[in-house]
Amino acid sequence: MSETVNTPPSATDLKSIETSQTFFQIVYSQFKEHTAAVIGAYLIVFFMLVAILAPAIEWATGTDSDSQNVFNRYKPPFTTVVAPQDVRENAIQTFIRTNPEEATKIQTALLAKNLVQPVRPEDALYDWVNLEKSKALETIQTIDTSKKAELIKMINNFQSFHLFGTDELGRDVLMRLVYGTRVSIGVGVLVAIASAVIGLIIGALAGYYGGIIDTVLMRVTDSLLSLPILPVLVVIAAIDLKKVLGGLVAVSQNLFGDAGGNLAQEFVNNIFSGGKESIYKLVFILCLFSWMTVARLIRGAILSLREREFILASKTLGATDYTIIVRHMFPNVVAPLLVSVTLGVGDSILFEAALSYLGLGIQPPMPSWGNMLFNAQELIYQAPFLAVLPGILIFLVVVSFNFLGDGLQDAIDPKTVRR
Amino acid sequence: MKNLTGILLAVTLVVACTKKEAGQTADVQAQSTTGTKLTNNELKIGISQEFENFNPLIASMVATTYMQRMVNRTLVVIDADGKWVPQLAKSIPTLENGGAKVVKLGGKEKLQATWEILDNAVWGDGTPITCEDFALSVKVASSPNVGVGEKESFTQVEKIESVDKNPKKCLFTYEKAKWDFYQLGNFYPLPKQLEEAVFKKFGAQKEGYEKNSLYSKDPTNVGLFNGPYVISEMQLGDHVTFTPNPKFYGVQPHIKKIIVKLIPNTGTLEANLRSGTIDLISSLGLALDQALAFDKKVKSEKLGYEVLFQPSTVYEHIDLNLDNPFLKDVRVRKALNYAINKEDLVNALFEGKQQPAIHSITPRDPWFTADPAKVTVYKYNKREAERLLDEAGWKVGADGIRMKDGKRLSFTVMTTAGNKTRELVQVYLQNQWKQVGIEVNAKNEPARVFFGETTKKRAFDSMALFAWVSSPENTPKSTFTSKNIPTAKNGWSGQNYMGWSNPQVDKTLEALDTEMKPEKRIEMVHEVLKAYTDEVPVLPLYYRSDVAVIPTQLKGYRLTGHQFPETNVVENWNLE
Amino acid sequence: MTTYILRRIVQTLMVIVILSYVCFSLMTLMPGDPVELMISANPKITQEDVIRLRAFYGLDQPTYVRYFNWVGEIAKGDLGYSRTYRIPVTEMMGPSLQATFVLSMGSLIFSILVGIPLGIYCALKPNSKVDYIVNIFNFGGISIPSFFLGIVLIIIFSVVLGWLPAGGYQTTGMQYDNLFIELLDKAKYLILPIISLSVQSIGRFSRFSRSAMVEAMRNDFIRTARAKGMSEQVVIWKHGFRNALIPLITIVAISFSSVFSGALITESLFAYPGVGRLIYTSIIGNDFNVAMISFIISIAMVLIMNLVADLLYGAADPRISYK
Repeated sequence: MSETVNTPPSATDLKSIETSQTFFQIVYSQFKEHTAAVIGAYLIVFFMLVAILAPAIEWATGTDSDSQNVFNRYKPPFTTVVAPQDVRENAIQTFIRTNPEEATKIQTALLAKNLVQPVRPEDALYDWVNLEKSKALETIQTIDTSKKAELIKMINNFQSFHLFGTDELGRDVLMRLVYGTRVSIGVGVLVAIASAVIGLIIGALAGYYGGIIDTVLMRVTDSLLSLPILPVLVVIAAIDLKKVLGGLVAVSQNLFGDAGGNLAQEFVNNIFSGGKESIYKLVFILCLFSWMTVARLIRGAILSLREREFILASKTLGATDYTIIVRHMFPNVVAPLLVSVTLGVGDSILFEAALSYLGLGIQPPMPSWGNMLFNAQELIYQAPFLAVLPGILIFLVVVSFNFLGDGLQDAIDPKTVRR
Repeated sequence: MKNLTGILLAVTLVVACTKKEAGQTADVQAQSTTGTKLTNNELKIGISQEFENFNPLIASMVATTYMQRMVNRTLVVIDADGKWVPQLAKSIPTLENGGAKVVKLGGKEKLQATWEILDNAVWGDGTPITCEDFALSVKVASSPNVGVGEKESFTQVEKIESVDKNPKKCLFTYEKAKWDFYQLGNFYPLPKQLEEAVFKKFGAQKEGYEKNSLYSKDPTNVGLFNGPYVISEMQLGDHVTFTPNPKFYGVQPHIKKIIVKLIPNTGTLEANLRSGTIDLISSLGLALDQALAFDKKVKSEKLGYEVLFQPSTVYEHIDLNLDNPFLKDVRVRKALNYAINKEDLVNALFEGKQQPAIHSITPRDPWFTADPAKVTVYKYNKREAERLLDEAGWKVGADGIRMKDGKRLSFTVMTTAGNKTRELVQVYLQNQWKQVGIEVNAKNEPARVFFGETTKKRAFDSMALFAWVSSPENTPKSTFTSKNIPTAKNGWSGQNYMGWSNPQVDKTLEALDTEMKPEKRIEMVHEVLKAYTDEVPVLPLYYRSDVAVIPTQLKGYRLTGHQFPETNVVENWNLE
Repeated sequence: MTTYILRRIVQTLMVIVILSYVCFSLMTLMPGDPVELMISANPKITQEDVIRLRAFYGLDQPTYVRYFNWVGEIAKGDLGYSRTYRIPVTEMMGPSLQATFVLSMGSLIFSILVGIPLGIYCALKPNSKVDYIVNIFNFGGISIPSFFLGIVLIIIFSVVLGWLPAGGYQTTGMQYDNLFIELLDKAKYLILPIISLSVQSIGRFSRFSRSAMVEAMRNDFIRTARAKGMSEQVVIWKHGFRNALIPLITIVAISFSSVFSGALITESLFAYPGVGRLIYTSIIGNDFNVAMISFIISIAMVLIMNLVADLLYGAADPRISYK
């Protein structure tokens, strides 16, 4: 054996050679060289974190993304808004009504310590609630009550700072953007993954079986590719989902009897609860029109894999088609699929924005960057900030995904020229 | 190749540098655009809605109606004060002045009225307007092959014949003896000398007349128009140019050329105005929010514009679904109404530029009343609302929302998604109702789903917020009578989305159509309004206002706030 | 060759028929119909009017019947009548197609003229500073939403600087003394829409031509040509560029498919009276005839351009033959 003749490599050398053999290490080291892609990746991680942590951010800043204030609309950035007297008094009235005993206790305490000087004793809490924020908080700290947290929260809510100002309904723009990140990136990622799965299945079927299956599937793919996407999306977005799904319920009732009908009805009701149907609808229609490129890519890859020896070998060994496709072929197409998914996210975000911008995408009050831009464009001269911010965010995220995809492609495919 | 990139880079640099100067040039620019002196030579009007071919029988878009009045006139019209006045007619025939009378023809009660057309009223080509032009309109509108929108406004006239051998003195015989026979505001004549031949030739084909009418084949033919202006150029989807009609029967207009330009994106209307692409934003342009913001800017920067607000007949309200088990109780409906502070609402959201509503009839309508003896007026009264709810058995629960039999007093208010004003109102109302212990959730749908499915099929579970467009002295039959409750059986026809059924109201409104005495009609309407406000099938909110932005030097411009727009007096507009 | 073309044309026609049925049925699924849009604008319209109009427009019939009626009319050469604009579709489409043609051709030519030379320049000087900057610009161009870019352009160039009009296609009501003034005036209105339409395709073209050119220059025959002592210009243009052309033809042909889609938003934003906006208003206004004709035109354009691209491959690359 040759190893016995030559000096055997030292253990560390061997280790470094072996580790450098792993595919992902190569990819990673190549990827690191693509500065823009790395920056993009960091930005994406940041936005993903924002999206995931949106409720935490909301809790930490104490501003509610949905709380509207019609008296403080279109406030410029860096504005502090203070709630008017009637809002304060209504809040404390509700508090007194719901916790009568506790309220009396606090009232007595307030009067006893002479912290407020009301005209009539029953006005003590009303006077307290109208105090300046720091004073009110200071006062409540000295009082012993089980409802302290609730009252502190109430006082905190009366004064809110808006870093990016407020929108047309007086909502905090920063929090809207944070939640918009959730919707926009969520839709983008979901669509990209779903369309990758669809494309993977269709491409694999067409590529592996060939013949009539291939012809039919590829004709459908080509036809869909030749549809003018935006106009068709406009039509589909305008379709009443309830009507279509109502038909679905009727069909399943016919097919599977009442049980099936009920199940379908429940499914439909689920979709329409919580005002989220516009998201489902958007994800659905974007998926419908974005799997084709993936399908073509996978088909091409599978076609060439089909003729490879290891596939022939497993065929002769009697492996099922399923095993061959899933176990032997899919691992070989993961890399290009990953690239295509990454690039797909950017496209989906752009389409979501475009449809929402036309008023046909995500429906208010749920924020998405696209519909925020749509809402802002009417008053673009009075409140340009409202339009510019979501626009910049869309741009940043899409460009990050595109750079990431580019970086991955360069790293994965040794044939491409490195920059 | 090198040069090209060099040039490109240079261009990019120049652009980048000029961007920095943008801030400094802004003020200069603002002054120069608004400082431009306008003259009577030209006025450019911006609209934000699409318009269509001008055939007055077929056109139905609001933007076309807006422009139609500049080129075509009718026998009568409602003026800016809300009164019916003659236009092509010398006077309005009435039963009192003997111009109209009820007759028995073939066993049926009919009405005949004599309309006399102005002697100098001619078409743009000089042909006098005669009774035959009106007769042609009726003939075309009656044809089953022509897609006339509002057919009844033409076919209510059975026969038109000239009397006393005077081609301009016409005897109209109406199908039914209805009191509102003289309201022929949309009854346009057709130029017989041009259109009769077309109708003869193509009228037998389906849509044959529409396709071949000179209004679509030769839209700039002066003979098609009788108003102060004629169309000299038209491009659908972009603009229409109007020039004075020298044959116009009235005073010659002051402005030598009017261009109406379509700017579909309301967000860029202001940019177009300030960059001088347009000089005026018509009532079909800005949203109220934009107008309020622009009004402030005009005042603070002293721009040469005036923002006009005119209360209109558009009635914003909430239809209550009376099939909802909670809403079946009239006390709950009244409480909902008492809990709304409408005065506050219009002040907070609209800066007082829109008016609160107490029922469906506007203050400028002769039928209007706010007399507490005649109708029930709901002044904001939180305590009364709470009292009514307590009485109805709804007790305040732990979270401040009222409960009864283990159920929360919770409703869903639906409206058109993306309509900012309505969404604002929604939020405002939610807040006010919460204060009396009523939970209201918002659910919004795109307009076409909302109107095409939800309201049409009464698929809203409790509340629907939207508007009715009305006009003075318009019978509320289609929204009030039980016959008009949409059901699957009647093919979802009718607009009584509340499901309000009151036999007395049905009867009164049926009788209203043929009641000839104006005082009696007012009494009947008040009777209906009494029921409407007592039973609260609808929560009235406010009347919308029309808004327009005009250059300060424009005189004679007055918004009307109803379906006959300001272009009715376009000949009075003057820039000098 | 002829049979190949014939076969492709027959295939294309079949695809158009199927897709047009799909589009047609999709449109019938939209809530509301043209008659409802008429009612909403008219308080005086009666229920009888609604039923009459629905029957008149055949809206009370099932989808397939309506589709076949419509196809029948098309076969007779009647493209129908626009219910929104109330004129025959043929008269409506003409000027809009022309306007969109000017806009999208302008944008396409501009993108080709800027994008491809940029890409080739970068391919010849890989990893240079210019290459790096252009690459960043390309990604930016691909990633920026065109409507956002449009709004920003309007704010900068029409509102703040006041250099260019905010929208339209010509100065309305202007009398042109001669052709030159007319062209100059119309060109002014085209600049902003063309820029906002082109930024994306410039990015795409430049990226594509760069990689195609790099790929082509790595071929063995380039080395051979250089070894033969050919001048660098000849090597680049006759050998390199010619081989990079094939993928470029594809991308240019494919970009035709987005002509209407891209124009839809840009035209609405800039109030430009072209087909893109027409498609949008006709869909929103349920104007079946106009929307369907626009769909068919744009589908046909994509399919025909694909065919043209396939045929051009043959011209660019003698190795490709058609069976």
